[in-house]
Amino acid sequence: MNLRKLCCIAASLGLLQSCIKDAPTNPEADITTFAVPKNQLTGDVFIDQTKRQVRLYLTDSAFKNGIVPTISVSNGAKVFPASGDTLRFDSTGTTQYTVTPATGGKGKIYTVRVVGTGNWKFGFERWDTVSSEGASWKYVNPLADDGRNLWASGNIGIAITGVTEINDFPLHVSSDAHDGKYAAVMETKPGNALSGWMGIHLFAGSLFMGNFVTDYLLENPLKCTQFGQPYRGMPQRFTGYYKYQPGAQFQGKDGKPVPGVTDECSIYAVLYSGTSRLDATNILTSDRVIATAILTDGSAKADWTHFDIPFQNLSGKVVNMGEQVMLAIIASSSKDGDHYRGAVGSKLVLDNIEIVNE
Amino acid sequence: MQLMNIKISGLMLGMLMATTQLFAQDNGQGQTKTDDFKPMLEHRILAGFNFGATAPVGLPNTIRKINGYWPEFSPSLGYELSYRATRKWGAAVAVKLDYKGMGTKDEVQYFPTIITTDDGGRFEGDFTGKNQTTVRNAYVSFPISAVFTPNDRWRFNLGGYVAWLFSSNFYGTVSDGYIRNGGSLGEKIIITEATFDFGTEVRSFDCGLQGGAAYRVGKRLSIDGNLNWGLRPIFPGDFKGMSFPMYNIYLTLGVAYKI
Repeated sequence: MNLRKLCCIAASLGLLQSCIKDAPTNPEADITTFAVPKNQLTGDVFIDQTKRQVRLYLTDSAFKNGIVPTISVSNGAKVFPASGDTLRFDSTGTTQYTVTPATGGKGKIYTVRVVGTGNWKFGFERWDTVSSEGASWKYVNPLADDGRNLWASGNIGIAITGVTEINDFPLHVSSDAHDGKYAAVMETKPGNALSGWMGIHLFAGSLFMGNFVTDYLLENPLKCTQFGQPYRGMPQRFTGYYKYQPGAQFQGKDGKPVPGVTDECSIYAVLYSGTSRLDATNILTSDRVIATAILTDGSAKADWTHFDIPFQNLSGKVVNMGEQVMLAIIASSSKDGDHYRGAVGSKLVLDNIEIVNE
Repeated sequence: MQLMNIKISGLMLGMLMATTQLFAQDNGQGQTKTDDFKPMLEHRILAGFNFGATAPVGLPNTIRKINGYWPEFSPSLGYELSYRATRKWGAAVAVKLDYKGMGTKDEVQYFPTIITTDDGGRFEGDFTGKNQTTVRNAYVSFPISAVFTPNDRWRFNLGGYVAWLFSSNFYGTVSDGYIRNGGSLGEKIIITEATFDFGTEVRSFDCGLQGGAAYRVGKRLSIDGNLNWGLRPIFPGDFKGMSFPMYNIYLTLGVAYKI
């Protein structure tokens, strides 16, 4: 070996750094937006990337006449039926959009669901098992008694941190029911190593009416919980049954025990104006809030306890004629769970809830 | 991995045997020429810096752009014992304290990663965005070489090395992008900035090929350049934080002082 050869080797070492290959073809196959004119909507369109559903909240006339959605997809991907094609709703109100990625490989099939705002009585008798192709996790989510997807929880966020078993998720199904076979149970769970990296040492059990977006999971988890579904009229009362057992040891955001504090549950409903959803950062503070119904007693209840809370309008706020409003129901096994404070083991069981209209 | 170890040890054994055979031949020649050369031991102090990269051999297409590269402070200090069997041929073994480090800034697209945690947690996803990585690993390494000394000025060596890790750093940030849970069809999670630290995952044993040249500039002092090419990926096979194997590829530039 001579010096020249050595220099060649040294030079090739440098070259390794400079050989950038051709860009990989985009393997993504998202419907990124599904735009419908605002005057045809009672609530913003929601694209559930986990269940691969496009949820539409439509006015009666839009439902009757069909809509012409403008669809955008991942770069280079193709969607069928195409953007701009009229979408009419058959008797089940369901149709499918197929997105093929630029790579031509496996794509995604999105199902369109028109979410009606029917009755607001929930017995938590129907549950849906949610998973993803090839994923090791599985969790459950309640459906409305007629199968509508109105409810969500933080479970998908927790699945992403590596929790896999149905009963290890904070929200799952309980066979201890007030009425019927099942009820919803929320249980505050300890965080894990991955969530610890994000500074989260506790997963409060939550169940809320609305949708969960994963986009902000790392950036601002409180923005992931999109509270509310379209509502008509002015709700009068929020009623239901619950049981609550606070966990033994309250802990702060840092995961360290805080002596002398007992965890409390929270159950409340919020009516607000508009069609875009409020989230955990502003659900009680937004100036769009019209009325609230908040359970004030969050203490332990060993037996089924009935609650019946009248909605209270914020001063000067009413529902104006023709105004689009949304209603959110939010429940958590730890009242400060949105700030990652609570007691591991706190357990809230909820059943037979209802929004009583005028 | 076991197989690889065997392969590498086999390779090094082969090189050693080749060296000894060369000695044998040369010794024979020496005798016939009735050379007055007497075999001797030499001692050298080696000092220098490592420049290079802990990098894949050939960049995968998920790496779109390299926005920056800088060598970390990576000193190399050691002692070499060589046996000069004939005027031209010999063998050397050294013990070195080797820091191998660098930093890069790059942009990646659909970069698969799997993060596992001590409590059994696991996150798998494809990341698109910016990445900044700092590597600084310290090894005690034992290079072993055949040495060729054609004349008074030049000295060449070629061989292999084994190295044990005693301190490791492999950390960085990902930013301005998103990760998709489970793969390219999964849920999107925006990442403004997040940190990672794979320091504890770095393998404790490294080995590879090394070779170089020294040019004598003073009575005892030589300028020394030596390339160390790791053949064992620095992360174990079951580590999936990086989807490709990465190797220690460093050039030591420094001096050798004969004592």
